Parts: sequence; C-alpha cells; structure tokens
Amino acid sequence: MDVLTNALTGQGISLSFGGIKVLKGLDVSFRAGEITGLIGPNGAGKTSLFNCLTGAYSPQEGQIAFAGQSLDGLSPAARASKGIVRSFQHVALSPDLTVLENVMIGVARNHDTGWLNAFLPLPRGCAERAEMERAAMGALADLGLADAAHSLPDALPPGMLRLVEIARAIVGKPDVLLLDEPAAGLNNSETRDLMQTLQKLRSGGLVMVVVEHDMDLVMSICDRIYVLNFGEFVACGAPDEVRRDPDVIRIYLGSDDD
Amino acid sequence: MSDQNATLGLSSVDRSGLRGMVSARVGTWLLIAIALCLPMVVGGSWVFALGVCFANAIGVLSVSVLVRYGGEVSIGHTFFSAVGAYTVAILDTRYGIPLWFSVPLALAFGVVAGILFAWPSRRLSGIYLAVSTLALALAVPEIINNADSLTGGYEGLYVSKPLVPGVKMSLQRYYAALAVLLAVTYGLSRLRHSRQGLTLLLAKSHPAAADAFGTRRVWARIAVMGISGGIAALCGAMLAFAGSTVSPSGFTFWAAIFLLVGSVVSVYGLTFPRALIGGAFLTLIPQFLSASGAWIPVLYGVALLGVILAGHYLPQLTQAMGRRKGGA
Repeated sequence: MDVLTNALTGQGISLSFGGIKVLKGLDVSFRAGEITGLIGPNGAGKTSLFNCLTGAYSPQEGQIAFAGQSLDGLSPAARASKGIVRSFQHVALSPDLTVLENVMIGVARNHDTGWLNAFLPLPRGCAERAEMERAAMGALADLGLADAAHSLPDALPPGMLRLVEIARAIVGKPDVLLLDEPAAGLNNSETRDLMQTLQKLRSGGLVMVVVEHDMDLVMSICDRIYVLNFGEFVACGAPDEVRRDPDVIRIYLGSDDD
Repeated sequence: MSDQNATLGLSSVDRSGLRGMVSARVGTWLLIAIALCLPMVVGGSWVFALGVCFANAIGVLSVSVLVRYGGEVSIGHTFFSAVGAYTVAILDTRYGIPLWFSVPLALAFGVVAGILFAWPSRRLSGIYLAVSTLALALAVPEIINNADSLTGGYEGLYVSKPLVPGVKMSLQRYYAALAVLLAVTYGLSRLRHSRQGLTLLLAKSHPAAADAFGTRRVWARIAVMGISGGIAALCGAMLAFAGSTVSPSGFTFWAAIFLLVGSVVSVYGLTFPRALIGGAFLTLIPQFLSASGAWIPVLYGVALLGVILAGHYLPQLTQAMGRRKGGA
C-alpha cells in the first residue's frame, strides 16, 4: 500500500482559544506503515493537534485529510467511522462496564443491528454480541489482559487501564491510530511490553501516531518524530536526526550542561 | 503483566461475583413467583393496590433509566406517563380500542414525545435539564384540562375494556401491569448487554470517548430520552388500566417528584426487585400509613430517610461485617 496516498495530512492547521494561539499553521503528514512520534514539552499543543485530527476541535484555519479525502467539518463520530480512532491522555473507560465490554465498544462502529435487537433476544443481536465479544477477547489476549476481561476498571491498576484503552483502540482494526501518552502510568516492564505490542501493530495500512513523554519509547519505536513547541514544529525527522537537533536539545531534551 | 493479574486475585473476585449473581437471580425468580400467586392469597383492595404498585414501578424504571444511561435527572416524567395513560384511555373510551393495540401505540407516542423533548434540550444537562423537565410537569394538568373534549378534563376517563373477555377484571388489571413490568425489566436487562447499551453507558461517563468511537453524544441523549419516555408512557398506560381511571390529579408536579423519589429509593436499580421497592414506596407505604392522619407526610419522610440511609450504608456495613467475619 502506498504510504503517501494513505497518509493523514494537515495543512496550515491553526487553532486559537480566545487570543491564545495554540497551533500556528502546522503542516503534517503521518504516513501509513510508520509509527510517528509527536513530542514536545507540556503545553506545546500535542493533544490539541490530536483533537483537531479527530474532530474534537475545529481549527480556525487549515485542512485535514485522510487518504486524499477531506475530513473538514466531519464530527469525531464520523471520523471514527472512517477508521480514525484514538486513546486519551486521561483514561476514559466506563466504570459501569467490565474491561471486556469497554473493549467491545471499539468494534461497535462496525455493527449496525437495530433497536429491537437491543431489547429482544433476536438472532442478529445475539450474533453481533458474540462477534464483538470474540474480537474484544482477542485484542485483550494480544495485550496479555485476558485474565482481567471480566473485572471492572476500578479493580485494576492504572497501567493496565492504559493497556485496556489501547485494546479498545486497536480492536476495530483502525486505519489511523492516535495514541495520547500510552505509556503514562506504566512501569518499566509494562512499557517494554507496550513497545513490543506497538511494533507488532505496525502494518502497511496503519497510520500510527504516538504522543509520549517517554523518550526511550519514542526513540525506539518511531520511524519519524515531530517536535512541537509553543504550537510550532521545531524539528521533524528520523529519531537520530531529532536527537542531534540543537533546537530540540535546547528546548526539550536538555543540553549537556544540564 | 501476567504477574500483575495473579496478584489481583481475579478468579476469587469472579467467583464471589458469580455467587452474588446466582443468588440475585434466584431471589428475582422467587419474587416473580410470589407476585404471580399473590392474588390467590390477598383480598381485592390489595390486588388493586399491587396492580397500581407495578404500574408505578414501571414509572420508577423510566426515571432510573435516564439516571443510569444518561446521567441525568427528571422531575417531569409525568408528562410522558400522561401521554401513555391518555392514549390508552382515549382509545378505550372514545374508540373502543382494547389494550392489545393501545399499549404499543402508547409506547410509540412516549418514545416520540421523549425524542421531541430531547432534541431542543440536547445540549442541556444537570440542573438545567432537570428544570426544563419541571416545565413539562407543570404543563401536564393544564394541557389535560384544556383539551377536556378529548381527555374528560377534571372528571377524567374510565378505562373499562377487558384485555381478555370473560376473565375477572380485577385480575386482568393486576396481571397486565405485572406482565408489562416484567417485560420492561427483561428488555432493560437485554439493553445492558447490547451494543447500544454499552455505547450509551460510555457516552454517559465519557462523552468525548464515545464520540471518538462513533457514538455521537447527541444521539446518546436522544436515544436515552426516547427509551425513558417510552417506558414512562407504559407506566401511564398501566396506571390507566390497573387504576381504571385517568384524571389530571394523577399527573401533577408532585406525582413527578414521587417518581424521582421512587427511583432514588430503588437506588436507580433497573431490576424487578429494585423497581418493586420504588413502586411500593410510591403506592403501598402511603396505604400503610393511611391510619396516621395528619402524621402521614412526617412518617413518609421518616420512612424515606430510613430507606435512603439504609440503601446508602447497608452495602458498606455488610462489606465491613464480611471483612470482620473473614478476619476472625
């Protein structure tokens, strides 16, 4: 699959809240088959860019497109139906649902049985539920979470909840996967497992973007990295180039004198 | 990660959860069996009161659905129950249409009324939505009185058409309300495990996450109000049939408040036993207190406080006692 034709792109994205410019005319191209890192200090605008890409925010200027099709004006739900999904900086699982049920929501957009199936034991509704369960169980097993499938989120540690969120994001086989700080709250061994999982997910058709503060993770798994500061890109390139970039060292990674 | 799972003791949690589920299911079936047999044991006035209790339990469920799936509170659900009640009563008295046909129509009208209310109020939440439902509750008696040529005004309408000709009417009123209550609780138990139910629950706690996974929060609000309005209309339909008369006095602002009280007392439960607790609190407790004269409101308040405190602290007390027993 052509990495460029299946890319998630943004041109001249600008976002302001009142008089504060959060994003300043950003041009981005997240390619299929690659893992792209988006790094920057707190408040740089990383999550705001995610929110623009997923439709949660409407940028005042600029165009966003996926696979050549404009996403402008589409709601987050409509973008989700095009296979663009995300995880959240703060875990956003329903406390009323088990882990398995939370993950099942990740495939809900691929199903369309009517309301009668929701209230009555009709064959289509039962088959849909079974299919969703099977898919969710598979995603949980891939992340080593099968044992926790029937637990409520309250009973699990934060690291596992993060992984449940990722399971929910990947279960529907998305075309674009935006992960907002997936390693936050994970211990070293969980982060290593996560890195392996993300690398396994890398495929020809998947655009994967990771916002992360864990530099080891970003430098290890990303093919390209964008560095954002005060709403502007200060660098973009392969991990080694970014690591050596003097601006990045100065504003984000710290200089040798520090 | 597997080590982490091992330390959680998930299997023991699952086991105790399973035990609880089995005992709850057995309790529910026992309660259903008792409800089915009660008319053979208790007198006529109790059969009538229990029929109304089942109808009120449906109303309690309609408010609880809104709380559980929408995270919102209504103090105006009598509007939707009036829609159901007058659909049944008008079709019965003016057109001679029996319950078999009027109840599905009442349900449909209730759903439509819920959706029509939800659309303009879709961006409201919390106290603002509650106050907008209050407007509905305040409007209901006036609407009914002003349409007296259809609704019978203050005098109301008498629902008399039998559901099954030849069967004692008092038994029909009792069992019809019980059957609809059971159907609603069954439908709600299915909803909880359905795709729509799961997405509604996510939309309640994390609307942005629901949006990001294809469930628009506006759709979620409208869907929940439609379901809730439909169930409230079923409550009204059954109040009309089980109570035999329909008049504006049954759909006042206070009646709407009591539906909310019933929902709180049942801890917003959507099961048959929980709904019965709420329905009983609305119907049977005032009957028990009827000999107390002027003290009725005070005693009702005390009972209400007692039930709410018990509902709030009993699980914690039971848990603490269980821990103590386990420790000893």
